[in-house]
Amino acid sequence: MPPLNPAADSLWRSLEEAARDPAFLSRAAQEFPGLTASLDSGVDRRQVIRLMGAALMMAAVAGCDSRFGADLVPAVRTPPNIIPALPNFYATAHVVGGYAFGVVVKHLMGRPVQVQGNPHHPASLGALDVFAQAQLLDFYDPDRASGVSVGGEPTDRQALEASLRDQRAQLLTRHGAGLRVLTGTVTSHTLRARIEALLTQYPNARWTQWEPLSRTGSRRGAVLAYGRPVEVIAHLDAVDVLVSIDGDLLSTNPGRLHYARDFAGRRNPARGGSMSRVYAVESTPTLLGAVADHRIVAGPARLRQIMAALAQGLLNDPAPVSDPHPERAPWLPAMLEDLRNARGRALIHVGADQPAELHALAHRLNEALGGRGRTFDLIDEVAPPAAGEQAQTLEDLSSDMQDGKVAHLLILESNPLFTAPAAWEFAAALKRVPFSIALARSPDETASGTTWYVPQVHEWETWSDARAYDGTATILQPQALPLYGGMSAHDLLGLYLTQEAVSAEEAVQATWRKHFAGDFAGAWRDAVASGVVPGTASPSIDVPLLPASGIEPLPPTTQQLTVLFRADPSLWDGRYANNPWLQELPRPLTKIVWDNPLLIAPKLARALQLANGDLAQLTVGDRLAVAPVWLMPGQAPDCVTAFLGSGRRAAGSIGNGHGSDFYPLTGPLTGAGGSSSATVSLRKFAGSAALASTEHHNLLLETPAEILRHGTLAQFSADPHFAANAAPAPRLYHREPSGPAAWGMSIDLNACIGCNACTIACQAENNIAVVGKEQVIAQREMHWLRVDRYYAGEADAPESFFQPVMCMHCEEAPCELVCPVGATVHDAEGLNVMVYNRCVGTRFCSNNCPYKVRRFNFKGYAREQLRPPQSWNPDVTVRARGVMEKCSYCLQRIAEARIEADRDNRPLGEVKTACQSACPTQAITFGNLNDPASPVAQRKQSPLNFAMLESQGTRPRTTYEAVVRNPHPGIQATLVDESP
Amino acid sequence: MAAIFGPAANLAVKLAMITLLATTLGALTLWVLWPRTDYARNLQTAVSQPVPFSHQHHVAGLGLDCRFCHAAVEVSADAGLPPTYTCMTCHSQVWTNASLLAPVRHSLAANIPLVWHQVTDLPDYVYFNHSIHIAKGVGCESCHGDVASMPMTYKVKPLTMEFCLDCHRNPGPQLRPKSALYDTHWQRTPATPSPAALLAAYHVPDRNLTDCSLCHR
Repeated sequence: MPPLNPAADSLWRSLEEAARDPAFLSRAAQEFPGLTASLDSGVDRRQVIRLMGAALMMAAVAGCDSRFGADLVPAVRTPPNIIPALPNFYATAHVVGGYAFGVVVKHLMGRPVQVQGNPHHPASLGALDVFAQAQLLDFYDPDRASGVSVGGEPTDRQALEASLRDQRAQLLTRHGAGLRVLTGTVTSHTLRARIEALLTQYPNARWTQWEPLSRTGSRRGAVLAYGRPVEVIAHLDAVDVLVSIDGDLLSTNPGRLHYARDFAGRRNPARGGSMSRVYAVESTPTLLGAVADHRIVAGPARLRQIMAALAQGLLNDPAPVSDPHPERAPWLPAMLEDLRNARGRALIHVGADQPAELHALAHRLNEALGGRGRTFDLIDEVAPPAAGEQAQTLEDLSSDMQDGKVAHLLILESNPLFTAPAAWEFAAALKRVPFSIALARSPDETASGTTWYVPQVHEWETWSDARAYDGTATILQPQALPLYGGMSAHDLLGLYLTQEAVSAEEAVQATWRKHFAGDFAGAWRDAVASGVVPGTASPSIDVPLLPASGIEPLPPTTQQLTVLFRADPSLWDGRYANNPWLQELPRPLTKIVWDNPLLIAPKLARALQLANGDLAQLTVGDRLAVAPVWLMPGQAPDCVTAFLGSGRRAAGSIGNGHGSDFYPLTGPLTGAGGSSSATVSLRKFAGSAALASTEHHNLLLETPAEILRHGTLAQFSADPHFAANAAPAPRLYHREPSGPAAWGMSIDLNACIGCNACTIACQAENNIAVVGKEQVIAQREMHWLRVDRYYAGEADAPESFFQPVMCMHCEEAPCELVCPVGATVHDAEGLNVMVYNRCVGTRFCSNNCPYKVRRFNFKGYAREQLRPPQSWNPDVTVRARGVMEKCSYCLQRIAEARIEADRDNRPLGEVKTACQSACPTQAITFGNLNDPASPVAQRKQSPLNFAMLESQGTRPRTTYEAVVRNPHPGIQATLVDESP
Repeated sequence: MAAIFGPAANLAVKLAMITLLATTLGALTLWVLWPRTDYARNLQTAVSQPVPFSHQHHVAGLGLDCRFCHAAVEVSADAGLPPTYTCMTCHSQVWTNASLLAPVRHSLAANIPLVWHQVTDLPDYVYFNHSIHIAKGVGCESCHGDVASMPMTYKVKPLTMEFCLDCHRNPGPQLRPKSALYDTHWQRTPATPSPAALLAAYHVPDRNLTDCSLCHR
């Protein structure tokens, strides 16, 4: 690869582009790269004539459908509130790692068709992350279908119940000796009550809560600082200076959607109010780091020294430790100055993957900065472990199993055979347990090792409850009867309890009967309908900081190389691996799909002579993995990032065999989430693997200012219009759409955090097909909305920008002029519409589109999807092979609003596109430009408003607000922590 | 050297060419005209149903309103078909032992839906909304014909894109007063308000009703 020295003012997406690699550029300049090669595949003239003949015959056959239409099947008795073709909405929650995110499921004729955010829920605020939205496919997942099995042989529920009756009698006589319960993190009051009832009935039983992406670092840090495991609720709307040490506020934190909203509220100076300043000190790029004002690349070992230096600068009493390398951090005085000046308005946040000592120190610093009650509050732990001796760690459970102390193991919704570190030898230990049950949605890795497998219902098929990051409880109501049968955790636990069996609904009602005083039925109905149980948010508690002596000095690290084990941005801990939407979702920063290469710094890659896709051998202690590598700009050179969750062996037909499994390498000392403390080495391995990354797809080879404009707050203060377009380009045609509405969109690039919620929302709303890894490599992915990630500056520490790009609905649309069949035309309200039944697949339009937002169905992707027909959105055409498609501004939603307004003779109401309603930061605004009071018309008045590729004269209806960053004037925006 | 082809070959070649031409022309003609026939459009052909339901009897004879069974027509895109339960509101009292109604009784007793066969089928790619047409004064008859006179239901209008556009280009003449929306016998009389007056009364918006995006998405 040529040397990496991008021009200072350039914007680049991939390292090849930054290096102006001629081979890469000539390929990128083609509209359909690789198409000529695939056409050159040796088909001769006769073959072509044969194929044409066959096509003609098949066209004739295809025309011969049945004379009469389909069958119509009305219900025997229509359920109440169901009207044909009109949606119903029911609130529930999606639970990730124990924590709830409020959702509203859209139903048509009783079928769930879409997931939306619940505006009443504090962890959602009406927005959603990718996981909750993709639940639609998890719900309809055909791999879920299976019955109870014992020893791999199918059996029935009666056999399970009989067997458990025997077990129960034996366990009762032993007071539960040898009984172990293994779950994920449990925030559900009802499930907790049931498990506690079980522990009371079997006092010798033990309960393990195992979460592979653990938050134990922050929990133990809180114990060190406050003496009890409090949780921090940040108030980012009140934070003027945010210092994030490997922070997870926008990526994996249980409050991420709420935090993203608060964060974005302080990032656009054109909205008035003061802009916050964000420092992100991190070893591997995170979403917060990508949008921070200052991103400081520091190795994992340096993070604790930098924290020590912060403590030295901010604490009056002598700090327990100090920075041994102050010369490496010349930017530190600036950061300290900002923090000191923002007393009561500053927050230091440490990511959950960091060790407890760092968290403890951060708590002390935040207290010293006077933030309590202003920038953060403390609440009681949302998901405490079992009381007293009945709690057990997975490691202890594993060794008990090895020692033959476990006679009966009940595993509820946990997959330790995939997620436990190899050093604990859980799989071998499980063989020594005579009776074990795994309750899981599909027969996963763990189910293959237990004696019994019990299919679990989806969370949309049972009653339950769960708590959000701030303690707010939601009652989960079933959205449908179980599609494939199965049991819930409540039902299965009921078989262990001696009291009379109760349904999950009765169990949940029993939990809340205590909470609702007075009219239970009414309160219950309100709580279920709104998706939030009122008055359940945890109150902030007044707990004093322990004296400083309680804080241990930071442990020294001497690692040359560290592995950072992180949640896959799309697959979490691997539980979503069978979800095709999530597998094919470009990861926010690498844009890789269907894989999880090791992320290494370009500098380390040079030293090891590795290029993208080359195989490398990663050794951690005495275990090793061979996986491809990916060069990650902005990664610290002394660490390797491994995303967990890929490499599933028993996820299902979608998830099996994609990527590499790094769980075996995770260290027993730190758990999976953090970094490993064993000796780590990385070396080049023979061969390479094909990786599918979309970062160089649909490349725009224009001058940077034409694509994405950015500046500093100082620039903005001097001239608010610094990013505005110059005089509009002359128009070739004068098209003035005459309709009563003029649809347009404004995207605030200051708010965009690259989280991909919009991409999945668009995919769900618009029936966008998944194409598979090979087709993505051929640049044929179908996403209508892509989030481009741009870098500026040096590859070792670049600035990052996100830019969502979809059809711009140009007023002077170049695509329309070249379509020979009028398949893409303008309507009177300014929409650039695709008429699928006219399209003959010339692809001229895509070739002529300067924004590269059109997608062509090279194959019949929609037909190949493993999803039942009722899971598609019936309001949108499912496109066939040979048809061009692109963003329609959610035309079906516009049509619905239009019809409603006209029917009732009232003005057009608000229309929200799917991407807009999913966006956690409200970066996207859509509406009627003819209405000067509409939010979109007002946002277009922003001085930061600019049109992409303005010089093309396309007059796009979608415009952007330029990025303004607020760096400290004394230091650079991006810095590398290294010896001068 | 003897001729390869005898005199008869001339005739054969001529016949072959004429046949070829005739076949080609015939095929082209058929290709163009066939889809326009009533047969290809399924017009005027009663569709067999699990229960021989007569609109003539229920609507013209008994005076049931369309909305008694097609209850969602004013609020939803789909007019909706009646659930078995709706049939049984009356037929649990009248004709309780009629053998014709056995499938209906069985449906209710066994909780198995009746499977009706579609009569009016729109082309693919079109999203039609009943409620807006009713709200703007287009009666049932405009698309479904005089259903009240049909013992067995059949399709009357071609429901092609051309058919839709004829009205969307000039909707006025197709509009009728509110009182006549569900009357399939209704005819325009001199007392009927003029098309222009109806357009105004129904607030038919001045948007372009022939935009592709109005029906295709």
